[in-house]
Amino acid sequence: MARDLPGNLPEPAYNLAPAPKFTKICCKQPSNRLPLTKIRVYNRNGPKLHQRNMAQAVDTSSKASKPFPGSPKPCTPEDDAYLREALKRCSASTYEAAGQFRKTGNTEHLPAIVLGIIERYVEPDLRAKLKDPDDDLRLIEDLGIDSLTMMEIVILVEDVLQMSINNEELRHLRTLGDVKQFIECKVRGLPLPQPTKFLPIEQIASIMPIQPPFLFLNEASVSSQGASAKYKISGQEFFLQGHFKDNPVMPASIMLEALGQLGVLFLLEGGAGEPGKVVNPQTIFFTSCEGVRCHRMCRPGDVLSLSIKPKRLKAPLATFEGAIRVGQDKAAIAEEITLTFGYAEEVAVEPEKQSATNGESTPLAAVVNG
Amino acid sequence: MRKVYITGIGLVTSIGNDIPSVSQNLRDLRHGFEIYPPFQKPNVPVKVIGTIKGYTADSYDCEDWDYPSRFSIKRDILRGMAPHGLYTYCAMLDAIADAKLGGADISNDDTGLYAASGGSPRLLGHYLHRMNTMGVMRCSPLGIVASIAGTVNFNLVSNFKIKGASAGFASACASSSHAVGFAYDEIAFNRQKRMFVAGAEDGNVESILPFAGMRALSQQANPDLASRPFDTGRDGFVGTGGAAVLVLESEEEVQRRGARVYCEVAGWGQASDGYNVAISHPDGDGLRTAMGNALRRTSVDPEAVDYVNAHATSTPIGDVSEARALRAVFRNGATRPAVSSTKALTGHGLSLAGAMETAFCAIAFKEGFMPGSAHIASLDPACEGLNIIRATLPQQPHVVLNNSSGFGGANVCIVLRKA
Repeated sequence: MARDLPGNLPEPAYNLAPAPKFTKICCKQPSNRLPLTKIRVYNRNGPKLHQRNMAQAVDTSSKASKPFPGSPKPCTPEDDAYLREALKRCSASTYEAAGQFRKTGNTEHLPAIVLGIIERYVEPDLRAKLKDPDDDLRLIEDLGIDSLTMMEIVILVEDVLQMSINNEELRHLRTLGDVKQFIECKVRGLPLPQPTKFLPIEQIASIMPIQPPFLFLNEASVSSQGASAKYKISGQEFFLQGHFKDNPVMPASIMLEALGQLGVLFLLEGGAGEPGKVVNPQTIFFTSCEGVRCHRMCRPGDVLSLSIKPKRLKAPLATFEGAIRVGQDKAAIAEEITLTFGYAEEVAVEPEKQSATNGESTPLAAVVNG
Repeated sequence: MRKVYITGIGLVTSIGNDIPSVSQNLRDLRHGFEIYPPFQKPNVPVKVIGTIKGYTADSYDCEDWDYPSRFSIKRDILRGMAPHGLYTYCAMLDAIADAKLGGADISNDDTGLYAASGGSPRLLGHYLHRMNTMGVMRCSPLGIVASIAGTVNFNLVSNFKIKGASAGFASACASSSHAVGFAYDEIAFNRQKRMFVAGAEDGNVESILPFAGMRALSQQANPDLASRPFDTGRDGFVGTGGAAVLVLESEEEVQRRGARVYCEVAGWGQASDGYNVAISHPDGDGLRTAMGNALRRTSVDPEAVDYVNAHATSTPIGDVSEARALRAVFRNGATRPAVSSTKALTGHGLSLAGAMETAFCAIAFKEGFMPGSAHIASLDPACEGLNIIRATLPQQPHVVLNNSSGFGGANVCIVLRKA
């Protein structure tokens, strides 16, 4: 019984400094233009891919200065033997994709290589999740990849693709979708997406104009594409005492409020505004919502998974679609939630008023506190 | 001062990976030496080591390693380990099972772990080569923790969720005896209730062969003759690796758990030669003082000692030094203790030696024998005047000394007593 004890103990918590810094991918032997072979390969990929990739390929090559990682070069038998050895614990298709990539430089093979390498480092009992990979799969929480394993993945990717990934950005990759998008942007020479920022409660509270006890976000991730958050209904929320009598149920209006708060966080952290402009937290207010439907009652103990995506963003209005899930259950959706906002330099804040706001905290909180 | 007992043992040694086979081989004086294939080159004059059976950990890739199927170890645990990390991990599981400890007994503020190993020169060499040829950023993120001295405590403490005292000891061949001694102190002085002590070594080309440079290794190609402490024909030690893990517990814990006990750790002593970085003092000065300190602190009369597990590694100089130290300590005794070196069977485990041989003594207490000193055809006259036993004695000892000496002239003597 004692023999299998370490398996019963909690997963090891590594005492690690933050993951080593990465900078951007750069090619060891930069090639300044797309080799012709690449265009030819794209031609074989059917009309749809052809059109898309041709456009991008032409676009990339026109930039001329963008190196294209893994440009094709002769793949010697030694190279092949090295690839086989390096990828010996990956699926056969990973090795084949790597061989093809090495021979042709066709970037269509990259997702298969990278996913194959990630799969190799995922514990066997979790690999089933990668059979039909969902872009929302989280590297740490769902796939058990810690920062050290991420380093191992990076080193193997570097070995196989013969590139150096020395990047700051990788630190922010939280989901499989992030990884795919990152690699796609890198190899196509497109600008990198905003890294997903993870914000724990302390950071959320320091950013938000809304404060406890009226803050309904425990942790959040924000990227340029949207934001997601979790909120656990503790049962201690003051309004549950009366909603309802002897039957605590999260009010639908508060669930909508939580989505609105996530919208506020997105505006403040997502970099969604115009370049060089900063959204002033004091200017954000709820404007309207449409198409709200509730599907499930949420009670103390439930963990709400909130997500929003921007639909339209143009000052002074920001419109989002929002959804709340509890586990796999749909809890509520809002087709549109609209907030109004303004930029910092547009608001003249008098010094004494600014200090006064620290006490009253925020517009919404001020209302709640009466 | 609280009494301290040995309640669990886990072993991966050249003479066996479980207590029954180790015990049998100690009694029967069956050695664990083999011709070691990586040494079979014309430019390698050393041919034999004490091999570990049932494990294959030669690859730089931990996922290639083989180990007994009764263990199942995840990749994210293995990747931070050297070969001897694997041995220690398995020995730790066996020691825990042997002591019948539950999870709560292992992970608490009152349970600590001391360890000793020389690190993994093999892995360190591999990672440095990779760093020099492929670049700094292509080194395994866990290369450091897998290879430097301290790797055993890093791995065991994190993997077994040890919450109490932890440290590693680096006094070469005295290291794991120091670990036993200081672990005893932790419990005796009421700072911890339970201590794990681990000693381990890779026992491969890179950890053993460098000793050939100082002419410390036997060049004898016959496994039956290579290690023969106290014999006139001895020509150096035979290297070995493996792991030994001991569980030390306070008297109160032993009573509370109703634990089965091998023997008492009565105390220990240490002293240094202050003489030479690599050569032991010709008269065994430091070792004599260490034994004297150990006996005085445990109030044991030299005449009460039944058996000494000598450090004697089978080197020409070292064995004589120890013989002189032993004669000085037991000079006027009416009865002389039986003396043997179990390194004649296992080879010299370096940082592993002290813990492994303490475990052998504990087994000898429990099973009632004193292992003989094997492979002596003609006793070195310089070692005369001692009761060096050439055959195993079928009696249970009452008091046992276990000696260890390391580079720089570090000497440790552990005193064990019948429980």
